[in-house]
Amino acid sequence: MPQTLRVIYSAFRMAMLHWMADPQWVIPNVIAPFVFTFVALTLFKEATGPFGLYAVLGGGMMGMWGNTLYSSGFAISFEKWQGTLEEVVATPSNLLHVIAGKSVSNALFGLVNMMAILLIASLVFRVSLDVANPVLFALSLVLTLLSVSALGLIFASAFVLTRSAQVFTNGLEFPIYVISGSMFPIGLLPFWVHPASYILGPTWGIEAIRIAAGQENVSLTFWINVSVMLLITLAYVAIAAFLFKKVETKSRRDGTLGQA
Amino acid sequence: MSLLRIFFSSAVFSFKAQFSWLYPPMWLAMKLVMPLSQMSFFVFVGQFLITTGNASVDIVAYIAIGNAMTVLSWNTIFSVINITSHDKWDGTLPLVLATPAHRLPLFVGRAMIHVFDGMLSVAISFVYAVFLFGVNFGNTDILALIVVVFLTAFTMAGFGLLIGGFSFYFRNPLVFANIFTFVLLIFCGANFPVHDLPQPIQFISYIFPLTYGIDAGRKAIAGATLIDIAPLLGQMLIVGFISIVLGYVFFRSFEHVARKTGRLEAV
Repeated sequence: MPQTLRVIYSAFRMAMLHWMADPQWVIPNVIAPFVFTFVALTLFKEATGPFGLYAVLGGGMMGMWGNTLYSSGFAISFEKWQGTLEEVVATPSNLLHVIAGKSVSNALFGLVNMMAILLIASLVFRVSLDVANPVLFALSLVLTLLSVSALGLIFASAFVLTRSAQVFTNGLEFPIYVISGSMFPIGLLPFWVHPASYILGPTWGIEAIRIAAGQENVSLTFWINVSVMLLITLAYVAIAAFLFKKVETKSRRDGTLGQA
Repeated sequence: MSLLRIFFSSAVFSFKAQFSWLYPPMWLAMKLVMPLSQMSFFVFVGQFLITTGNASVDIVAYIAIGNAMTVLSWNTIFSVINITSHDKWDGTLPLVLATPAHRLPLFVGRAMIHVFDGMLSVAISFVYAVFLFGVNFGNTDILALIVVVFLTAFTMAGFGLLIGGFSFYFRNPLVFANIFTFVLLIFCGANFPVHDLPQPIQFISYIFPLTYGIDAGRKAIAGATLIDIAPLLGQMLIVGFISIVLGYVFFRSFEHVARKTGRLEAV
């Protein structure tokens, strides 16, 4: 197995083992998206239109994002609490690969998280989950998940330098829900927020997911959304790689890793 | 005098302690960002309903005020339960239990600064409601609103102590902090009336002081006086005091078991 893959797999395996040792940590990741979806579905109860779809798919996307963000924040904080961050950074393996392995496990949980929200909405609120184009729905879902994970990588790099990663995690969760228009069209947001919406992969991802769920023969808009999301995701990965290198160099040079 | 001293030092220390992991600038940023993003999310969901003709414009004020009051829970529930978490993680639990200080002021005092911190969060949220979402505060009975916000924060801190006391028995009290901070959005009438919930679970709403507080807050903003909302405040105080007493019972019972079994942090 190539060394990069071996590092990613080891980090993935460790993250899974940690989760199995203390599975209750999944609760903070799912509670906010579940509650937000519950509230939205109750508000939309009497409404006519595509509201159920907005609430359920938006809730699922929020589940993915919440999970990724928490996991990115705690991936670093956890190592700090255990006193293992220095060892992780000191290994000859690239820190980005270690975090990427953790991110893959988070992405997996994110997907399970989304499915749980879809299932609960379907059973409790009787929301129809008929998907018009299952293949493109699955494709857009997986790509959105990758995009969310790549965004998480950027945050994870910044979290190495702060002891307030937990606070960032809580603070960044809701703004992304709002800015990405997870449960409402971004046209409702003030125009000055739109640039922030457009640089977020999940904004394009959730739109693509909605189109695939609602149209059997998807329009060109679907492919535009997917393409833009892919480009943004690639940019996220490039930025994350650059930041990890910078952060790693700085923390080695200053010698303040565990204290940051 | 000694009891008061314990009460105040406990209050001040518990507030200062959170800055061992939270930078003050970050605290300020959170104070400004969290209320705005939570309120915005639900207001935009409401506006989505308005633009499609499924709700009247009044829903914006309803949601904005409900969420402004609910931000209290970050201070009075999340932060108060988190005191228990940090006692366990930071190794201060043995010191807290070894002190000869009277337990009641020690236990209740630790939540009290969070009451005022929560009131500040609500005030910031009201500013957002007025200037960003155009909520009309022109008819507000200011005195009634201040009393409502204070009593809601106080009774919710009591509820935080109840869950915090209960969660002494668990390894990760933070899990309870997350659950109870968020479920309030479902049960307390922040975004929709309690009677919109499924009938079998509506009774749960009335175990949370916040349910009465949000209702009273909306009435005070609409112009109701203290006398008009006194019955709601009375109900809220009863629920709040019961919470504090139950929380204290949990705390003492935990202390008893921990001393008896010699498994302080493992209980």
